[in-house]
Amino acid sequence: MKALIVTCGVPFIRGGAEILAEGLRDAICAAGHQAEIVTLPFQSCPPSRIPEQMLACRLLDVTETCSVRIDRVIGLKFPAYLVPHPHKVIWLLHQHRTAYELWDHPAAGDLIHYPDGPVIREAIRRADRAFIPEASAIYTLSRNVSERLQRYCGISAEPLYNPPANAPLFHKGPSGDYFFFPSRINPVKRQWLAIQALALCREPVHVRFAGEADNEAQQAECGKAVRELRLGDRVEWLGVVSEEEKRDLYANCLGVVFPPVDEDYGYVTLEAMLSSKPVITCLDSGGPLEFVMDNHTGLIAGAAPQSLAGAMDALWADRRRAATMGEAGRERYLDLKIGWENVVDKLLC
Amino acid sequence: MAQARGLRILIATVRVPFVEGGAERHAEGLRRELLGAGHRAEIVSVPFKWYPPRRILDQMLACRLLDVTATGDTPVDCLIALKFPAYLVHHSNKVVWLLHQHRQAYDLWQHPMGDLHDHPHGAEVREAIHQADVELLPQARRLFANSRNVADRLQTYCGIQAAPLYHPPPESDKFYSGAAEEFLYFPSRLNALKRQRLVIEALAHTRAKVRVRFSGTNIDPGYYEGCVALARRYKVHSRVEWLGAISEEAKRDLYARSLGVVFPTLDEDYGYVTLEAMLAHKPVIACADSGGPLEFVVNRETGLVCEPTLQSLAAGMDELWEDRAAARRWGEAGRQRYSDLHIDWGTVLEKLLS
Repeated sequence: MKALIVTCGVPFIRGGAEILAEGLRDAICAAGHQAEIVTLPFQSCPPSRIPEQMLACRLLDVTETCSVRIDRVIGLKFPAYLVPHPHKVIWLLHQHRTAYELWDHPAAGDLIHYPDGPVIREAIRRADRAFIPEASAIYTLSRNVSERLQRYCGISAEPLYNPPANAPLFHKGPSGDYFFFPSRINPVKRQWLAIQALALCREPVHVRFAGEADNEAQQAECGKAVRELRLGDRVEWLGVVSEEEKRDLYANCLGVVFPPVDEDYGYVTLEAMLSSKPVITCLDSGGPLEFVMDNHTGLIAGAAPQSLAGAMDALWADRRRAATMGEAGRERYLDLKIGWENVVDKLLC
Repeated sequence: MAQARGLRILIATVRVPFVEGGAERHAEGLRRELLGAGHRAEIVSVPFKWYPPRRILDQMLACRLLDVTATGDTPVDCLIALKFPAYLVHHSNKVVWLLHQHRQAYDLWQHPMGDLHDHPHGAEVREAIHQADVELLPQARRLFANSRNVADRLQTYCGIQAAPLYHPPPESDKFYSGAAEEFLYFPSRLNALKRQRLVIEALAHTRAKVRVRFSGTNIDPGYYEGCVALARRYKVHSRVEWLGAISEEAKRDLYARSLGVVFPTLDEDYGYVTLEAMLAHKPVIACADSGGPLEFVVNRETGLVCEPTLQSLAAGMDELWEDRAAARRWGEAGRQRYSDLHIDWGTVLEKLLS
């Protein structure tokens, strides 16, 4: 079978969506099919150009290639999933979030600030409502993405979980004296919340942050908060680490702190589970809540420094409990049967 | 003029999914060179399907609607566009390096190799392609063509001037020369445009027992079988060898050991084969209607330009076979000519970014 994965990307930027598309391509090929990725450029600013790019996707023809049928198109991202095809399956990574739940988000909202923002938002919503149901099957990255699609567009879709890259390489080591917080540094991942919580911890909790800052201002802001709260010796900024280093940091931590705002999915949770580590997340963290079972595989705190501090203290003070939760997380990962074989079966059936 | 470094450059091209072609490798090569020169470069390739013809118009519009002026908040400094219809993508600093236009609407219109003219909407689509090319190609800040042949077509059909800008074949530094052995070499995909059949027919007319080795994959169903049958019918089958798809190393080895290269292709856009032969110090036999190769082969100085007839091609092959001294001399002159033409990526980047 020839399967074409159609997605959008911002040239020069490589993120989780690119890694996922490549993982999917490799898994389809491993199952004995042919798969390629088409990545269309997408520029969301200025918003007035968004409808034109939506139209561009509608105008492409990927039904055949040199008179040979393309059997399946798998659409991943907006607006690429609007490409027409008689046997299209959508595996929705996310819709255009600032036209939906991030519309009036103080940091992430962008459309809302433009005079034609409401009109563009309406165009995006209409296109999604009209064209997403064209697909012969609709899956999403996570229950969180499914729920948004249901809430805003009235379209139901089944979540289809995929494993993090190099899942078999994650391993468990002895628990060290630090929590690990791997993520790009930005307001949505909320490193600052963890810093504020640290200041309120009763235990001498340490956190190691790994990941690149989206921009220097964000890194500077976090650094400033650490200085002002006099947390210098309890925080480490590791910056970009290799995949191998990252796996070792998971393996040797006491637990993982991951309190993002409404994450779509969140490989961090799964990577922690693969490393047999408990995860501390927040009530509004989205994706991680599909995996973290409170008091069983981790702790779900309120999205406030005091509550997060309480959770960090609890695991710091009771290492045995932390280890038990980590093991339960690993069990849960296995129970969920998160693997590419399942993804490929569903998308190609 | 000093070149800026660290530019953010997008290469726009089209692709046919699941079919790998020279254009993809060309875009990859350009990207690699740009990265090597300290720039940031990425390829944007839009899927393209040229049938039914009216779908071409949709895809032209799609290219016009894409927005590659910036990525996030950061401007894209330069767009280098290669193929139709990707070169219609808008950018205020666009440089077109034309690999080819949609040939069905131009030189292949009313040509046996084309079929757009057979289609009910063919004329209308052809007209739209002409209009778009004539209006939008000149919006580029600079306009180059892959070869003089491509530049000449653009001038003939659209009245637009473009400077030919030659680039080296992939891995050009790995070619070498060796002592000539008893065979001519014809590397190319097997199909009617490359005219392997013409060589078989000519072999039946050579005085000398000329031998030819063919390498390359069969892309036209039945073409290879036809060639083999023809060789049997003319009883030249013991003088030809079909090597099929071979590695790049094996290809370079064959170039190095050949007596010369025979490349009688029909109206080639550019033709790496000619350049590879020159890099291997080998003379090239091309035909008067071969297009691209004629920009490089100087008749009786670096090879032979024959008529596209079996008699003329047979005479050309005989001449190389019988006059080994001339073959060697022409091969050396070809290598010199390659150097004189300054076919190198440094020159290409300087021109594209100047």
